[in-house]
Order: sequence, then structure tokens, then C-alpha cells
Amino acid sequence: MKLRKVAVVGAGITKFVRRAQETAKELSYHATKMALDSCNMPLEEIDSVVHGTAPDAFDGVHMKGEYLSEASGGWRKPFMRSYVGGGTGVFAPINGWYLVASGMYDTCVVVCEEKMSSCQPHPQGAFLTIFDHTTERPLGPNLLWIFALEMNRYMQVHKIPREQIALVSVKNKRNALDHPSAQLGAELTVEDVMNSEIMAWPVTRLMVSPTSDGAAAVVLASEEVAKKITDNPVWISGVGWNLDTAYWTNRDLYYPEYVEKAARMAYKMAGIKNPREEINVVEPYDPFAYKELHHLEGLLLADKGQAPRITAEGITARDGKMPSCPSGGLLGVGNPIAAAGMMKICELFWQLRGEAGKRQVKNSPRTGLAQAWGDLMQVGTVVIMQRGD
Amino acid sequence: MSKVKLPDSKAGKLAWKGDIPITSRYTAGVAGQKFFQALKEEEKILGTVCNKCEVTYVPMKLFCERCFAQLDETVDVGDTGRLVSFSVVYIDLDSKKVNPPQIVGLIELGNSQARMVHRLGEVKSSDLRVGMKVKAVWEMPLGREGKITDIQYFKPV
Ligand SMILES: [Zn+2]
Repeated sequence: MKLRKVAVVGAGITKFVRRAQETAKELSYHATKMALDSCNMPLEEIDSVVHGTAPDAFDGVHMKGEYLSEASGGWRKPFMRSYVGGGTGVFAPINGWYLVASGMYDTCVVVCEEKMSSCQPHPQGAFLTIFDHTTERPLGPNLLWIFALEMNRYMQVHKIPREQIALVSVKNKRNALDHPSAQLGAELTVEDVMNSEIMAWPVTRLMVSPTSDGAAAVVLASEEVAKKITDNPVWISGVGWNLDTAYWTNRDLYYPEYVEKAARMAYKMAGIKNPREEINVVEPYDPFAYKELHHLEGLLLADKGQAPRITAEGITARDGKMPSCPSGGLLGVGNPIAAAGMMKICELFWQLRGEAGKRQVKNSPRTGLAQAWGDLMQVGTVVIMQRGD
Repeated sequence: MSKVKLPDSKAGKLAWKGDIPITSRYTAGVAGQKFFQALKEEEKILGTVCNKCEVTYVPMKLFCERCFAQLDETVDVGDTGRLVSFSVVYIDLDSKKVNPPQIVGLIELGNSQARMVHRLGEVKSSDLRVGMKVKAVWEMPLGREGKITDIQYFKPV
């Protein structure tokens, strides 16, 4: 199959906050408008629209995609919603990519939004029903449980001390101090993270991302259109996604096989043979501190069990050889589920164009990778982006 | 937490009852805040106008969905309008009989071409006509809560 080249030509993002005054539609509008304005693209030149948003229960609106369509620029246009739980924010741009790569459309705006504050008493209630209604729900599981089980398994297999995992919170929350959209930027020590409230051992409060309201968007264009819009397009050079079984208890949680499969698909498409040398900046999904490490390994950017070591050595610091979550990640910028993954796509766009301001990484990156993860700890979504020159 | 119950042993069926234990707390939003405030405090129905697209949005909207301009110009569309369509509803959400039947209408407000849906009252269903002029019947000021039901219904004038 002959695929066309697809570029990201514009990006926009709202502030991520605990509770926004704006409605879900107003948040979507602001992010979309900022993305369009950033590349001087009037809405009439947009051929297609993809909207990514997580469970309807968050906003409390069934058919949330359709509900948000006109706020994402979808008025009387081909519109689709994409949704793979937490993986949505990096899956939606993949959907947009294939609308353009296939030759169907020349342009696509991809918008992700979440308004979790609508969900009372806590968005955890919406997650309860992702579990099997008969075998698991009677036990009252929540996401903290299963991530705590996964984190502990990861720690036990590789003999990783919690202090090393806490370093990820310190790094990402510090990075977030430089992000204008950030909800939880902070200067912290490993001790602060270790001593914060235990939520579900071994997870402490400062190892978990917050719930948030927010939206983010990008504009995609075919090569021909992109070159008319900007001298500085950022190409989507590889995409990958993969789902493991929802029969999650029977997997070995210490390693995300499905993330590796998604990464291999994207590396192959991008012609990347040696990811550790060729990926210059990475935005792995970090809703929990250990997840950044878990994902760096699944993405083959560290040996199994070695992501804590490269973090301690500063390789993933903003001025390191392979900066990881220079944005501040979900831990620092916030976690409006689908919008959080899209925030990572926006960050790569700005980093690869040298427009990330105080967050700009120092290694003059040519290639970046964004990844998200979700559903019942079973989906990996990966996008690789490359500077034009 | 979950309200999952044990299996119903009498019926002998392995079935559980459960629900999604959430309540939604909806924000009115930036535009909605102004709209509902005017409804409650000024007895006014406000819209926003996009002059470029010649569209009025009621209830008011922060942006024009057609050209994506942010809309800052509000307009009072008045509380009278023209009935564009109607229905007489005999069955409720649980498929039970509604007595008396409820009348709902689509109302074009003022000269705006903006339409909103609301209840109709003080009218016999046999007297309903498309095109008839209707006017809002407001809740008493102290009874208003900044909700769409601060207008009780529209009645023919
Ligand atoms: Zn307009």
C-alpha cells in the first residue's frame, strides 16, 4: 500500500486544571482554535475531524464524541471519534494520520478533550465498570489497586527500590514548572514523594497523576498542503498500536508486551533500527511514576529493569541524552485522560521545531516518540515524529 | 463503591444487579453562566451572534461552529416566538402513560431564526398550529434557579 507523508503543522492546548469553568465544548473549542490559529488555517480548509475522548461517564454525556463534534471543528464535516481508554490521546492522531496518509483527505484536525470534574464523587466510579461485572466488580476494584499490583510486580522482578521510582515524580513535576498549562508543577525531593500519603502500597500520592479538565489539538496535513502552510513541518514517520487481552490477571504484569509490539510496528514504519540512538526525545505515558519506567522498557529504550538506572544517571533529564517527559508529563502537567496523550504529541511538535521555550531539550532533537497506554492495562499506542530537514 | 448484590437464589439464576456509581456535576460554562444569569435575574433569553455567518445561537454559545470565531456579541432575542413544530407526548421515559399528555414545541425566537425546544402550556392540543405566536411564561423571580425551567412553558398569545 502506498501511503502519503503526513505532517503535523499546528498545535494547541488549554490549561489543565482540577475544575474548569469552561464546558467540555468550550475546552475543545479553545484547543482547536489555538491549533488552527497557530498555522493560520481557517476552519473551511479542514477536510476531516477526529475527536478523542475517554469514557462518556467522565463528562456525563453519552455519545460524547458527537456532542463535542462542532466544538472540534466538525460542523458538517466527516467526523469520527476514537477511543481506546487512556491510550486515546495517541490513538486519535493515528486515526487522523490514516485519514490523510490514505489519500482520503488533505487535512485533518485531531482534538482530544476530557472534563473529569463532572464525575462525582470521583472519576474512579466510572472506572469500576471497566472490570468484569461478575468475577471482579464484586471485589470493588479500582485503578489504584491494579496499578499497585503491577508496580509491585515490576519492583519485585527487577529488585527496584521505590526511591528510584520516586525520582520520576521529582523529574516530571520539576519539568512541569516550565509548562504554561501545568496543574501540578513542583520542586520536590525523593523524600517528599516517599513520605506522601500511601494510596495503595507501593503507590504514594505524589507517584500518581491528578484528575484534570483540559483539551489539546493538532492540525495534520498532507505533504503538498503542509509545505504551503509551513517551512517547518513535523512528519509523522511511524505509528503503532496493539491490544493485549482484557483477561489481565493471566498476564505477567512486570513487562508491557503490547507496548513493545506497538513500538516495533512504529519503528519498522519509521525505518528505525536502533531506537536508543535514534529517538532523541520521548514522551512515554506516565500516569504513575513507575509507568514511565515500565514504558521506556516496553519501547525498547532501556533494557528490562534498567529504566530506573538511566533515570538516576540523568539520561532522561531535560538536558540528558534522551530526555523523557520534558513537558512535565501527566504527573506534572496533569491528566485529562485523552487530552494528556495529545499533550505529548503537542510537546513533540514544539520540541522538534525548537519552539518549546524554557522546556526546550538541549540535544537538538531530530526524532521523537510519544506513547500512551490504557483500556484494561492492555493497549499501547505509539507515534514517532520527525523534524523536516 | 459498587452496589453489586448476591445471586438471586430463589430464581436460581446467576445474575447480579449493579450500577455505575457516579453522579454528574455539570458546569454551565463561560457562555452558559451569562445565559442562565440573564434568565434568572433579568427574565431575558440571550443569544450570541456571528455577523459573518449570519447565525444567532440560542442558548448562547461561546463560539461560532461554522467559522470558529469567538462570539462576544450577545443579543436579547425576546421571549416571544413562532411555533415551528410540536408534539403531544403520551408516554414517559419508562413507557408509562402521561396524564395529561405533555406538549412540547420547537420555538423560533423573535426575528433571530434561533430555535429552542420547550414545553407548551395553556393550550389544547387540538388548537396547536405551526406558525402560531407563543410567549414565555416565567417562574416567579424568587422561584428561579438559573435553569432552563425558569421558563415554565410557552403559551399562545
Ligand atoms: Zn461564524
